[in-house]
Amino acid sequence: MIGAIVHKELTEIRRDGRALGLLLIVALLLLLGLVTGLATENAREREVLQARADDAAVFAEQGEKNPHSAAHFSRMAHKPVVPLASFDPGVSSYLGQVIWLEAHYRNPAMYRAAEDAPELSRLENFSIAGVLTLVLPLLVLLLGYGSIASERERGTLRQLVGGGASPMGLLLGKFLVVAGVAFAVLAATLGLATGFSLATLPGTGYSGGDLLLRSFSLLAVYGLYIVCLTAVTLLVSTLVAEAKTALLLLLGFWVVTVVGLPRLSASIAEQVYPSPDSGAFWSDARASLEANRPPGGSEDYVAVEREVIERALGGEVREDELDGLALNRGAVRLEVSEVLGAEAYNAAFAELFENYDKQKNLRQWLSLLSPTIALQHLSRTYSGTDVAAHEHFSLEAEHQRNNIVRAMNEDMMLNGAGQSFGYLAPPEFWETVPEFDYRPPPVAATWSEGARDLLILLLWGLAALGACAVGIRYRRAPG
Amino acid sequence: MTELLRARDLTKTFRSNTALNALNLSVNAKEIVCLLGANGAGKTTTINLFLGFLEPTSGTAMVDGIVVTDDPKTVRGKLGYVPEQVSLYPSLSGLENLDYFVRLGGRGRGDEKYLRGLLDQVGLSQLDADQRVRAYSKGMRQKVGLAIALAKGARALLLDEPLSGLDPSAANEFCRLLRRLADDGAAVLMATHDLFRAREIADRIGIMKSGILVEELSPESLDQTALEQIYLQHMHDDERLSVEAH
Ligand SMILES: Nc1ncnc2c1ncn2[C@@H]1O[C@H](COP(=O)(O)OP(=O)(O)O)[C@@H](O)[C@H]1O
Ligand SMILES: [Mg+2]
Repeated sequence: MIGAIVHKELTEIRRDGRALGLLLIVALLLLLGLVTGLATENAREREVLQARADDAAVFAEQGEKNPHSAAHFSRMAHKPVVPLASFDPGVSSYLGQVIWLEAHYRNPAMYRAAEDAPELSRLENFSIAGVLTLVLPLLVLLLGYGSIASERERGTLRQLVGGGASPMGLLLGKFLVVAGVAFAVLAATLGLATGFSLATLPGTGYSGGDLLLRSFSLLAVYGLYIVCLTAVTLLVSTLVAEAKTALLLLLGFWVVTVVGLPRLSASIAEQVYPSPDSGAFWSDARASLEANRPPGGSEDYVAVEREVIERALGGEVREDELDGLALNRGAVRLEVSEVLGAEAYNAAFAELFENYDKQKNLRQWLSLLSPTIALQHLSRTYSGTDVAAHEHFSLEAEHQRNNIVRAMNEDMMLNGAGQSFGYLAPPEFWETVPEFDYRPPPVAATWSEGARDLLILLLWGLAALGACAVGIRYRRAPG
Repeated sequence: MTELLRARDLTKTFRSNTALNALNLSVNAKEIVCLLGANGAGKTTTINLFLGFLEPTSGTAMVDGIVVTDDPKTVRGKLGYVPEQVSLYPSLSGLENLDYFVRLGGRGRGDEKYLRGLLDQVGLSQLDADQRVRAYSKGMRQKVGLAIALAKGARALLLDEPLSGLDPSAANEFCRLLRRLADDGAAVLMATHDLFRAREIADRIGIMKSGILVEELSPESLDQTALEQIYLQHMHDDERLSVEAH
């Protein structure tokens, strides 16, 4: 029976010029998204690679120089373009691509494609993910609004049921067709996007296995989204008397939950937990740094000083030995202030990311009203372009900054005793500072980040399917 | 004699409107029973109750010994149903429509030869069978509708004004076919407001008026005067009357 329904529905779609036209338009939009995404991300990747090479060359070839001055000009940490950014660029354009690893300061990322503060309210990009989230629901509702309603309207439902067909079976058949066509569109799109990414993968150091796993995760969550939408579409189609009514209601649903609520939720989250603008973030971080810095000679200060010296010497130092050591005292002060500064900045950044987290939590609540919100979160998470991915990069970059600055300071501390700031490191020294080789975490490390959104999407799917099943039972009389 | 359709004090009320009032009626195998009545007399309501599309307000409808509301699915499996307006999928051919309805009715994949045979039996030419239904006349649709009902090999047929919209020769053909089916063992319940056709093919005629079965007659007892009598008494006074001209 299901096979017969699927066969008949597909025949009708094939013979219906409008359905084919619709599919063609969808395909064109997706292709446009694919090309745009690939072009943007390729350009970005070329920039990153070029900039990284330039930066490395400048650093290695700076000749004789005081390490602390070098630490000020220092290095850039370039965030590599993840392969699926061409599928879903996520927040990467908003949170920046490059972090300046400067002595004293933990800087936020620069080169945001979107020129503002780290504000997350304008998340929509013209990308495949963006087109898919908008267009898949439209495709589903245009294919499905009449599934039951127009059969009811035409009288075929009466005849089918009167002839012994099971309404539940009919619903299932229709479901498979509508969801199946949308899923085929999705799978083809993801397949293409993944294929292109795989083709450009060699040499970037990414694992193809991880990319495939990410693509499958995306296929699964977008598939779940299709299930939700198809169930809602069929539910409405089951309950109303006329197909026209179903179409209007569903278009309303689309406008509200697909177009409106995701944007609204981002604005609400931004209103309730405003992201600091970069100026305010900076001055706050500095103020808290100044306010909390222990005065020189205080107990706290001395404890840090001792820690710094022990780390440089690679062994324990007794307190009464501290003053007698042959060290560059300026470098010790620099490293102490580095450690104290890093703590303050880390706290400020932790607060910043926590604020993004709060925004996300709030949006998650709102996604109980719109599965699109949960999908957007998951799409970014599995594409590796969400805030958590950026935070991972930011933390790794901070690690690298700590290491570089420490290497600079310790070189000056140990080799420049008595020379104060006149010490110059030899030209070979720069080569010994390790390159920043950032690798984003594998998708498996992001499961927990997506868990709640996945749960919400699952709940949506189950609720919509349940409502659909109850709906067809409640609406048993086919007249 | 096998009693295939049976209504016992079958009553259906829509709000204050009693569409069907304590109907008692049975149709046996090999029998054609016509329900005659003006528009709004309760014919379609009766058929809907047998199909389980409506729940009776009181009384029971039974098909082959099964109370409809107990097991509508099984009941529908035993019934062939032709609505007044046969609805088909316009972008499919007559044959494809028949195939689809048959398969959804749970009879598996009807083999093409059998289905073509059915369409032939109801008088649809092979050429027409392969045309898309979009271009069909009402008569052609009715024929496909009847083929759908027949394909199940149903023991009881419910026909809701199947003749309206058919040209006279198609209607004659249709009636001959029904007679043949009945002779082969089917029970046929046909709603119509065509007195003359009913007299030709029915074994019994039930006259309905405002939800009440006012008379049950045998066609032999109906000469021209009796017919006119009934027409004037029971059918003419309904303002929504639309008896076809003869
Ligand atoms: N679903 C319904 N809701 C309310 N009233 C109905 C419904 N179906 C039929 N009726 C009423 O029941 C009466 C009998 O209708 P029906 O059985 O369709 O008559 P017939 O088929 O003999 O023309 C009419 O008065 C009609 O208006
Ligand atoms: Mg009627």
